[in-house]
Amino acid sequence: MKQNKLSYKVGQYLMFGGPGTLLFLAVVIVPFVYGLYLTFTSWDGVSATKELVGFQNFADAFTDGDYWWAMLRTVIYSAIAVVLINIVSFALAYLVTQGIKGQNFFRAGFFVPNLIGGIVLGYVWKFVFNRAFVAIFGTTSLLATTEGAMFALIMVSVWQYAGYMMLIYVAGFMSVSKDVQEAAKIDGCTSAQAMRHVTIPLMRSSFVQCIFLSITRCFVVYDVNLSLTNGDPFKSSVMASMHVYNQAFTYKNYGLGQSEAVILFVVCAIVGVTQVLIGKRGEVEA
Amino acid sequence: MKKRIIAILSAAVLAFSLTACGGSGGDATGDSGDKASITIFNSKMEIQSQMEEMAKEYSEEKGVEIEVYYSSDTVAAHLSTRYAANDPYTISMVDAKDVYALAADHAVDLSDQDWVKNTTQAITIDGKTYGFPVCVEARGIIYNADAVKKATGKDFDPTTIKTTADFQAIVDECIKGGMASPTGVMKEDWSLAAHFLAEVYEQHDDPDAFIAGIKDGSIKLADDAKFNQLMDTFDVLKNNNYAKDAAISAEREVTEQKLAEGEIAFMFGGNWDWSVINAYDYSENMGIMPVPNDATDGSSEKLVGGGSKYFFIDSSENTSDAQRQAAKDFLNWLVNDEKGQQFIVEKCALVPAYSNITLAVQDPLGASVKKYADADALIANYNYLPDDHYAKCGASFQKYLAGEVDRAGFADEVTAYWKTAEVGAH
Repeated sequence: MKQNKLSYKVGQYLMFGGPGTLLFLAVVIVPFVYGLYLTFTSWDGVSATKELVGFQNFADAFTDGDYWWAMLRTVIYSAIAVVLINIVSFALAYLVTQGIKGQNFFRAGFFVPNLIGGIVLGYVWKFVFNRAFVAIFGTTSLLATTEGAMFALIMVSVWQYAGYMMLIYVAGFMSVSKDVQEAAKIDGCTSAQAMRHVTIPLMRSSFVQCIFLSITRCFVVYDVNLSLTNGDPFKSSVMASMHVYNQAFTYKNYGLGQSEAVILFVVCAIVGVTQVLIGKRGEVEA
Repeated sequence: MKKRIIAILSAAVLAFSLTACGGSGGDATGDSGDKASITIFNSKMEIQSQMEEMAKEYSEEKGVEIEVYYSSDTVAAHLSTRYAANDPYTISMVDAKDVYALAADHAVDLSDQDWVKNTTQAITIDGKTYGFPVCVEARGIIYNADAVKKATGKDFDPTTIKTTADFQAIVDECIKGGMASPTGVMKEDWSLAAHFLAEVYEQHDDPDAFIAGIKDGSIKLADDAKFNQLMDTFDVLKNNNYAKDAAISAEREVTEQKLAEGEIAFMFGGNWDWSVINAYDYSENMGIMPVPNDATDGSSEKLVGGGSKYFFIDSSENTSDAQRQAAKDFLNWLVNDEKGQQFIVEKCALVPAYSNITLAVQDPLGASVKKYADADALIANYNYLPDDHYAKCGASFQKYLAGEVDRAGFADEVTAYWKTAEVGAH
């Protein structure tokens, strides 16, 4: 059999890549395209007819004040959460790669919050904020104020993702060869200088990955938002995803909600891709 | 050769897993042979286990397979996914507003059914009956008479509380008797906006005209007598709230537990709250009284409510005629069969919406509602509020509850909401 014929190549591809391609088409591409189609309709989610309305939904989305407030809130939340997540997880990774006793136990321990689903985690923390903290400190609950609710959201997200990002940083730390670190020390670097000028530049790909993951996750946060604050107090902690969900399903403006989702996707993609491009540009190898 | 076989095998397994996924979707339409099988969507979480038990017994007795589903999503959201998947439930339990939204496309006309003559709460659109009322629910102030008695030393007679001043007086008396803060307020947006604020519309003789008046500016909400009377009473609830400083983080369960155990004595709610209250060590003498207010139209002697949760039967081609018949039989069984009646009244502790069901309602809140319903002292629900009303006006109401805006500011926000909102078609 000739191995460079097109039919052979197609056959091989279908055999190995076919099922995956089919799955990807069925669960990602087709729903996405169908979703795009729905943005041009005034569908309410249940009616049998879907009336085409052109770009009306996008025009409405751009004038939907609540949506842009939610978007602004999401950007602020993401900016703070991403910075904190990465600082905390990098510090944790540093601690658990220093060869301290029981470091595998600590790694597992820090990772556990990530294994609890966001919904459960939100309810657990809601209990902590509303009852435990109130009982211990005798103050009013953080979740009762607008700033407090945002702070609580950020804190819980950091707690949730820090362990996961820590694992990536741990892998990054391990991939930096001991030789270069030793060489730096012999050349007279203090540990801080070795970290600053040798280890961190070599771990750049870990940073790119972690920041990308935390940005994309923070931008589309929904589960913690739902179970921890559910938008309270007075809808001041509604994130973009939650607004989209409410718009589409609760207020029954499916087309409008879908077009807001598309805008969120575009914003999220632009931020994520830009960050990866900038991050990749400066990558170095030992 | 061996590698090739493995490759083919793994591809085959993948392909199989794909077709298996596709296949299971087809089975769910439920056209299985002679034995009719129907699906019921239940949107009353508190009766899910009773529903499942009933389904089992019903299947054994009548030979009709029933599967009961529940979803924590909003009703409309959940049903829309089922319609999108061409896999609707045979019978769906929805809220009144959903019947108006869904009936034209998805519901079967039930006008010829036997039970229609026994209820005043069925939903009829253009002369056709689509919605089967599952129960009657009504709103008012839930009181704990034992707690009041303990604090004041006197028996509590809810019929003596007619005006806001009466209500303030009994609250003051409770405080004097040692109850620190006698009231609780649920901060949930549906409780504030869909239930309390809605009473402002509903207690007007013509809610449609009232809302139209707010929309075109001919009625100033902030100056409206009814609005101010009800908000005066709300202020009593708000000012004596046990969670006054953090009203927005008060959890519903905690509030209801305090009410059940007599730590507080009054809360705005409805008889559905019994499902939460009965989880705690509740007092014997509880009940619902009308929201006291200074209006002279008799509204302080009536609860607000009516039919709640409606069954409708799917009309699409995904449901067979045999299934539809089985579904109609089931609805008749609920109303006319002794076991069906017992299921509604005794097992689920609901207030029946049918005049031929005479079983006594067991829970005290339900009993209060039944008393008012039998005396024809219910102000009808206004079922046509837009879907985002409870969320948006609820947020404004929460601001009022937290003291972020005053009453005029709250009225302004509600008025601004109505400038762009449209009531549902009816």
